[in-house]
Amino acid sequence: MTPAASTSLGAWGVALALGAGAIRISTPFLFVSLGECITEKGGRVNLGLEGTLVMGAMSAYGVSYLSGSAWLGALVAGLIGAALGLLHGWLCSLRRVNDVAIGIALILFGTGLAFFLGKPFIKPSAPLLPAIDFGFWSSSREVRSALQINALFLIGVALAPAVAFFFDRTRWGLVLRTVGESADAARAMGYRVDFVRSIATMCGGFLAGVGGSFLSLFYPGSWNERLSSGQGLMAVALVIFARWSPLRCLVASLLFGAASALGPALQSVGVMWGYHLFNAAPYALTLAIMIGTSSATRALDGQPAELSAAR
Amino acid sequence: MSRDAVETIVIRLGALALSLFLFGAFVAAAGASPLDVFYQMYRGSFGSAFSFQNTLLRAAPLMLTALCTAIPARLGLVIIGGEGALVVGGLAAAVTGLAAHGAPPLLATTAMAAVGFLVGGAWTGLAGALRAYRGVNETISSLLLNYVAIALLNHFVEGPLRDPASLNKPSTRPIAPEEMLSHIPGLDVHYGLVFGLVACAVAHVLMVRSVFGFGSSIVGGNLRAGQLCGLPVRRMIVIAAVLGGGAAGLAGMAEVAAVHGCANASLIAGYGYTGILVSFMARHEPLAIVPVALLFGGIDASNGLLQRVDNLPDATVGVLQGILFVVILASETLYGRFDWLPRGQPAVRAALDAGVETVKPAATEVSS
Amino acid sequence: MSAAAVVPAGPPKLAATGIRKRFGHVSVLEDVSLTLRPGSFHALLGENGAGKSTLVKCIMGYYLADAGRILVDDAEVRIASPRDAQALGIGMVYQHFTLVPNMSVAENLVMARARLPAVIDWRKEQGRLRDFMAHMPFQIDPARAVRSLAAGERQKLEILKQLYLGNRIVILDEPTSVLTPSEADEVLGMLRGMARDGRVSVLMISHKFREVMAFADEVTILRRGRVAGTASVADVTVASMAAMMVGGEPPSASASRSGGEPGPARLALEAVEALDARGVGALRGVTLEARAGEIVGIAGVSGNGQDELLEVLAGQREIVSGAIDVDGAPYGGTRAEARARGLRCLPEEPLRNACVATMTVSDNIGFRTYDQPPNTALGFVVKRGELRRRAAECVSAYRIKTASVDAPMASLSGGNVQRSVLARELQGTPRILVVANPCFGLDFAAVAEIRTRLLEARNAGVAVLLISADLDEIFALSDRILVISGGKIVHETPVADADVAVIGRFMAGHGHG
Repeated sequence: MTPAASTSLGAWGVALALGAGAIRISTPFLFVSLGECITEKGGRVNLGLEGTLVMGAMSAYGVSYLSGSAWLGALVAGLIGAALGLLHGWLCSLRRVNDVAIGIALILFGTGLAFFLGKPFIKPSAPLLPAIDFGFWSSSREVRSALQINALFLIGVALAPAVAFFFDRTRWGLVLRTVGESADAARAMGYRVDFVRSIATMCGGFLAGVGGSFLSLFYPGSWNERLSSGQGLMAVALVIFARWSPLRCLVASLLFGAASALGPALQSVGVMWGYHLFNAAPYALTLAIMIGTSSATRALDGQPAELSAAR
Repeated sequence: MSRDAVETIVIRLGALALSLFLFGAFVAAAGASPLDVFYQMYRGSFGSAFSFQNTLLRAAPLMLTALCTAIPARLGLVIIGGEGALVVGGLAAAVTGLAAHGAPPLLATTAMAAVGFLVGGAWTGLAGALRAYRGVNETISSLLLNYVAIALLNHFVEGPLRDPASLNKPSTRPIAPEEMLSHIPGLDVHYGLVFGLVACAVAHVLMVRSVFGFGSSIVGGNLRAGQLCGLPVRRMIVIAAVLGGGAAGLAGMAEVAAVHGCANASLIAGYGYTGILVSFMARHEPLAIVPVALLFGGIDASNGLLQRVDNLPDATVGVLQGILFVVILASETLYGRFDWLPRGQPAVRAALDAGVETVKPAATEVSS
Repeated sequence: MSAAAVVPAGPPKLAATGIRKRFGHVSVLEDVSLTLRPGSFHALLGENGAGKSTLVKCIMGYYLADAGRILVDDAEVRIASPRDAQALGIGMVYQHFTLVPNMSVAENLVMARARLPAVIDWRKEQGRLRDFMAHMPFQIDPARAVRSLAAGERQKLEILKQLYLGNRIVILDEPTSVLTPSEADEVLGMLRGMARDGRVSVLMISHKFREVMAFADEVTILRRGRVAGTASVADVTVASMAAMMVGGEPPSASASRSGGEPGPARLALEAVEALDARGVGALRGVTLEARAGEIVGIAGVSGNGQDELLEVLAGQREIVSGAIDVDGAPYGGTRAEARARGLRCLPEEPLRNACVATMTVSDNIGFRTYDQPPNTALGFVVKRGELRRRAAECVSAYRIKTASVDAPMASLSGGNVQRSVLARELQGTPRILVVANPCFGLDFAAVAEIRTRLLEARNAGVAVLLISADLDEIFALSDRILVISGGKIVHETPVADADVAVIGRFMAGHGHG
């Protein structure tokens, strides 16, 4: 998209770019937030998904480059994410080990490991995930580019109601929610609380890993060390905003995607001033939303009662 | 030495050894010789006067950024915004230095330090205030503020404050040489190290020995008990967050005024993140931060040698830090399990553990 | 589907013989035997620490007994987990609810089943639940959130859950501690009815003689881990049961009431309103006063605003509107004010609400005074040695059992935590003391001692506000009784004119009905 072409579209161009951003940039938010939603429903917080996201991006790119299959890359990213999630889950099952602190440690661990192992993959170009062209009907180049939609986005959109169904209508979903609402009640029913939480964290890690693969294998579509800048963390905040509802996670992800597109969109229509400030829009938005939705005096609706850290 | 201190040191050293072992296995898998890597790490950190001074240079900001996590931690907060506080503190100090051009140098330097402290303090103080008055999770908000701080730095050094002469690396104009922090006599290390040591000592007196520290321990141990005692919980949370961020802001000032001479992206060196690790490894004890910061400063200092001699990527240190952080936190579970240590009181310990698990403060509420 | 299997043959016979359980060197149960006949209502009596809970936990499979056998219909069984117990038709209702408040009645019941389909058809389940409820002595709408149920309804739901699971032997751990007297009678009456019908056998842990006399068929009394007696309820009296429970040394508060009329009002609340943790109104205009030298008892069913009332006075909760006055002047709850006006608090579960478990006993005792001379040097350094010396005085004056004043607070037993906090709060010159359920979970000796201290404080001119869910305690200690219901004070009476039945009606919110 050249600046000149967009300029001709003016404000419409900005809106289009925001819409396109909502679709394109939201995917990692969506996967990470759905994953974190599953983890938090069980009563634990995994802040380490930022590290998982970066590890996922790196491993997906590496596997795609080495094997030639982008989808295999996405799958491996998920599996690596699941392994990190399991590590988090297991460590938190130990007495006196705090889930928030372990999450911070895993941010450092995941990014450190990804940067180390990812060095050889910064230059080569790997096969990327294919996009589906939903814009064939339009003559506008901007519209067509905006509607180049990746299959992972569609999977994510389908996943949101699936996760909601899982929470409400399935045995495992009910067990997970019970564990998150009252560990004592779950124990009295004979469920292994730490085990359930570890599995939930593992599933959350899988989704976050897949979300990371989107970064390196579709948009922006390469591997480097500045690929993720807090998306994983924002997704965790987003779950609070979405009140632990998968469908609201979808809406919130789209909103965050649009906010993240603000800087590039303005730049594309020639607004150069404050590029870095507009790039900070999603962080400011996250903060604003957290301020707006938190309360100093009471628990939030829908918050799993065992969740200590999402206070 | 008390049993607790012995226990802490034994467990921490064990965690360190396990981490080094895992790291050795990792570099071996990556094709390097672990023994050589360890040797280079020693050589690059403590092996010579030169490398030790390099270690001290890196330990200085780590002491200060570790306090950013450690001071609020005593009130039960997990603030990880040291990187952001360092960056805005450094930026503000640079601006102050430029504005104070022509003033007596000592006054200018003092003003830079004061402004760096205040701006850094305001930065994490915001996270603390949001926690105290709005119930916003301080961990997430402080981490988000890091990104905002970096965006601000980029905005100013690439825009309004850019020195036209800085071509490859956009920077502010350099501050006057006479405003720079000088070196400690006899050492090739700037006064930032003194800042760090003094700050840790002051923090120890304040947080461990003083009335404020005692109250902080009550609030951090059980918020409800703090409220029952009539402590001004909200104000204390904000004060601790400001003091912590101020320390990190001071680190930013020292980086600007002693190392870079201007504010630019070099401030984003990860000291804030490593500081979190230092604080956790020191169990948020201000005095323990000093040796731990030296250790991590040493690891950081050896990075260059690892890259050159062992041909390892620059992220190697990141891997070691990640392993260390995870192993150290996991080792928390070992406390109270070494009954062979002197004066072991297994029953007391077991009761304490049970208490720790059941006594979760109802943390949703803060009322002063 | 277990719900269908509600009314086949009668419950089996359950017997535990020669049960022994030790924790480390501490013997909790020695050679305890108990038989629960089919269709009987059996009470298990004993002081706190007598081993009642441990015994039922051995039966339920939470603990494995060190010795002894458990027999169902005279066949020895091995119960290694609550699941095993459930497979044998044995279920338990706990003192604290195990329902999940944020889930619906239907979700709670369905979740409790041992076997669940992978995908749940809620329409079908709701239909089945309605059919099941139709056969029960009481009904609860399956779609309601448990959060919205009153305490009595929750307790009934707990019992209903056991029947839904097909359990024929129901064990209850002090099931009426959170109910009004009339709710308790209703629940127990229903249980007895079901036992008489041969639907279930009931084993109930209790410490309330009245309930045992009124509803149980048989009683087993434990004392210090041994069976002190087993009898048919028809053959015992309250006095004989009490003697068996305490071993012939009935406790009593040694201090008696002294002094004449109470003095001027020390503490006054005027139309105080406050929200609970979910943001719902919990105190809806509380007006009361406590005068020097009197104990004002606040009776009420748990969850009617008592917690919030204490929290408001302890500075743990902000008020929305209204006023709190001490000695006729507004009170803001700062540290300086609390010290100057002498307002002190002893909340329930003090380890959770008033202590730092990881700090030492001496630190915890010093919470009120650590920032005052002579405990400080240079005005800001805390002198730990001075705190330790003062704590040692408290430890001996209040007979606190602790390894040392440097032991962590969490290492103390419940009674000793209570004594430590009481010692701390009564240091100096207290003028107002707010206490909540001060004797909950304590043994007789500790109860008597704590009550004595409260009476002594009263006699010394302290205004005492006693919030308690235990009506007996309220009657034993108070000069004046107030009843709280729905966040309001709905009734007031001097203790001399108080009538349990009237107070019970007000507690249930039916004062005028």
